[in-house]
Amino acid sequence: MGVVMPLNAETAQARTHQVVNEDSTDIALFVRSSQDDMIGWNRQRIVDALLRETFLDRGTAEKISRDIEVTIQAGKVKTITGPLIREMVNAKLLEMGLEEARRMHTRLGVPLYDVDQLLVQHNKENANVPHGPEATNLTLAEGIKKEYALLQVFTPDVADAHLSGDLHLHDLGFIDRPYCSGQSLEYIKKFGLNLPHALSMAKPAKHAEVLLAHMVKFAASLQSHFAGAIGWDAINLFYAPYLEELDDNGVKQLAQMMIYEFSQQAVARGGQAIFSDVNIYWEVPKHFVDVPAIGPGGVYTGKTYGEYEKQAQRFAWALFEVYKEGDAAGRPFFFPKPLVHITEKFFKTEGHMDFLHHICEVASVKGNTYFVFDRGDTAKISECCRLSFKLEASDLEDAKQPWKMRYSALQNITINLPRLAFKAKGDDSVLFQLLTEKLQLAAKAHGQKKKFIERLMSLGKGGPLSLLAMDLDGEPYLKLHKCSYLIGMVGLNELIRVHLGEELHDSEESIKFGLKVIAHMNIVCNKLAESLDMKFVLEQTPAESTAFRFAKLDLAHFNEEAEKVVQGNREKGEVYYSNSTLFNVGANMSPIARVEKEGLFHPLIEAGSITHIWLGEAQPDKEALATFVINVFKYTQNDQIAFSPEFTACLECGKTSRGLSEACPYCQSKNVDGITRITGYFTKISSWNKGKLGELHDRYRNMDRFNN
Amino acid sequence: MTLFTKDDCDLCEKLKKQFDLSAMDIHVEVLGNNDAGALAHLAWHGLVERARKALPILVLDDSSALHEFVHIESHLLDRAARCGVVAKRAGKQAGCESGSCALQ
Repeated sequence: MGVVMPLNAETAQARTHQVVNEDSTDIALFVRSSQDDMIGWNRQRIVDALLRETFLDRGTAEKISRDIEVTIQAGKVKTITGPLIREMVNAKLLEMGLEEARRMHTRLGVPLYDVDQLLVQHNKENANVPHGPEATNLTLAEGIKKEYALLQVFTPDVADAHLSGDLHLHDLGFIDRPYCSGQSLEYIKKFGLNLPHALSMAKPAKHAEVLLAHMVKFAASLQSHFAGAIGWDAINLFYAPYLEELDDNGVKQLAQMMIYEFSQQAVARGGQAIFSDVNIYWEVPKHFVDVPAIGPGGVYTGKTYGEYEKQAQRFAWALFEVYKEGDAAGRPFFFPKPLVHITEKFFKTEGHMDFLHHICEVASVKGNTYFVFDRGDTAKISECCRLSFKLEASDLEDAKQPWKMRYSALQNITINLPRLAFKAKGDDSVLFQLLTEKLQLAAKAHGQKKKFIERLMSLGKGGPLSLLAMDLDGEPYLKLHKCSYLIGMVGLNELIRVHLGEELHDSEESIKFGLKVIAHMNIVCNKLAESLDMKFVLEQTPAESTAFRFAKLDLAHFNEEAEKVVQGNREKGEVYYSNSTLFNVGANMSPIARVEKEGLFHPLIEAGSITHIWLGEAQPDKEALATFVINVFKYTQNDQIAFSPEFTACLECGKTSRGLSEACPYCQSKNVDGITRITGYFTKISSWNKGKLGELHDRYRNMDRFNN
Repeated sequence: MTLFTKDDCDLCEKLKKQFDLSAMDIHVEVLGNNDAGALAHLAWHGLVERARKALPILVLDDSSALHEFVHIESHLLDRAARCGVVAKRAGKQAGCESGSCALQ
């Protein structure tokens, strides 16, 4: 904002004349304000702004304005901008040692050069954001909000820790939103689509297609109120009461519509597709068996969900038929991500082996399937790249009225683990002390974000988060008191390499020490949760750009130490740290060994973990994968696995081939793009950041590890 | 051999009173006591989720684990006999009375 008050264009000239005549100075200067206006010089506007925005006294403000006036007069300029005047005032404040006033008087903005670059170059911080005008708007808005967050929401120690790369405050550009949301379809089944500020409201859907339309529109609305993923619980089960009127073709058609709607709906958050997850069960989860089912029109059908098992299975099967076919060019669908829960009850449910083979075939052919393991009595809802909300006793009580089931993480903060090892110089005590300090700082940052969101939420239905304040079931949609606060980690593997001289996969001692690091994080999180009454939980941060950012910053500021452990290609700038607690992506390990050993960490990381199995060109038998999945469930602690094949999409002939190639095998065109999983979702490789490109190059492909 | 315990775990305390564990060369790990090493050791054996359901857990030298109190007690009685340590069966086991015999 400029220091001049807004005027409309018509009055500007008249006002200028008046100002010039009234003002004691005689500067024939026009100020191009930030309010789309050109007005006359008025020193008083500097005074007004300083008194309005800072705690300066009038005398000091007057002095500053006079000094600035003298400087401008000396420059003999004819036109000056509001932002420039503000910067001159800021420079004066600095010169006078008035640092706090300068901070309060800060102008947030973007250099001309940067905007020029942004308009033409693809921002690859998030591979799901395409290149286009909406994306540019997003990047520019994010830039301002990031600056705002670091100045106004977080204290300087937290902001400095982020900027220096000690930790990473995720999605700062979305500071005025919670991180992610998982919910039940029952909310719109019961209440219809009744969103604040909507031009019309819809009653509960009477037909499956209408319910789908409501779901997609609600998801798009939610996506513009959250920074991350929008997840849906037990989607096949909650659709089931609407499917009785449909034959198998109708169910397949509905499945196709759902997948296409979510994968093509590139409208929200900078024109990206809705980052969406659908949780799928073959069985009826225990906590829903006796729950009365809501059917068409939002009325109870007179049956329980336990009685809809077959309908739910029909829909689950159809969804995976669509995933197996892929899109019109045979490419895998990127969204919605299907998360199949493998539970004890799964193995007791009729037809489970057929379904397991079905979803394993999809995993092999297209890679879509995520296998989420809920062992024992564990029940959870999963979303984002690996995030899980474990259902606690109160959640299972809510499950009796499933529309109440909604879960959110308010913020995600990741700690740069290798840097701690650089500073500890081999001393365990120092390492753990530093880790504790960073966890405390992360908790402090979470508290600050919480306070900010609480402030926005307190504005209620008239505020910016009106959607999250809607209370159709008697409670705000965002249940702040139940929110999780995520703490993640990047580069455990490199921490171990610095501290012990070897990588995680090199020895049992390395793994044991790695477990101690994560156990320490788990314990400190629990203590902080107890003392601050906030639910801090560890998550394997997806770190799509953070693993790159930390590596770059450490090469810049801890070069001697970092250059020995940073992964990737330093000459090309394709550098990265290993994601979270993952082992070196290039380590030649059997898939079961990787799943088993990485899985040892998962029970300590309560908000979600995953192990990736990179397939490359391989297309294993569905039977081999099914056996693998069963063994993972029975004999490991692993939370979630996904198999990732690679594809080449030809932009000339439109065909899709297996593996990553420089030219299309069908038409030999070199106008191709690769497709595979970046961190927790599929996307085009051309949209990847440099760090992820480095990782892609290093990935160990399990080409001959499964029966073909 | 390692016995995973917790300070406020009734069943763990019973075993500690019943047996001279150090004389039987059994390492005792105390969980929930800010000890990352103990929790990491538990994770190494893949027993975190199991411990969240119930403690104590006895991990044998072959890395197999006993979770039921009666099985742990029987195993320790055998071992006590082999080590020449005096110990006797505690009698009827009522189970965890405080509800705290699990890793929180």
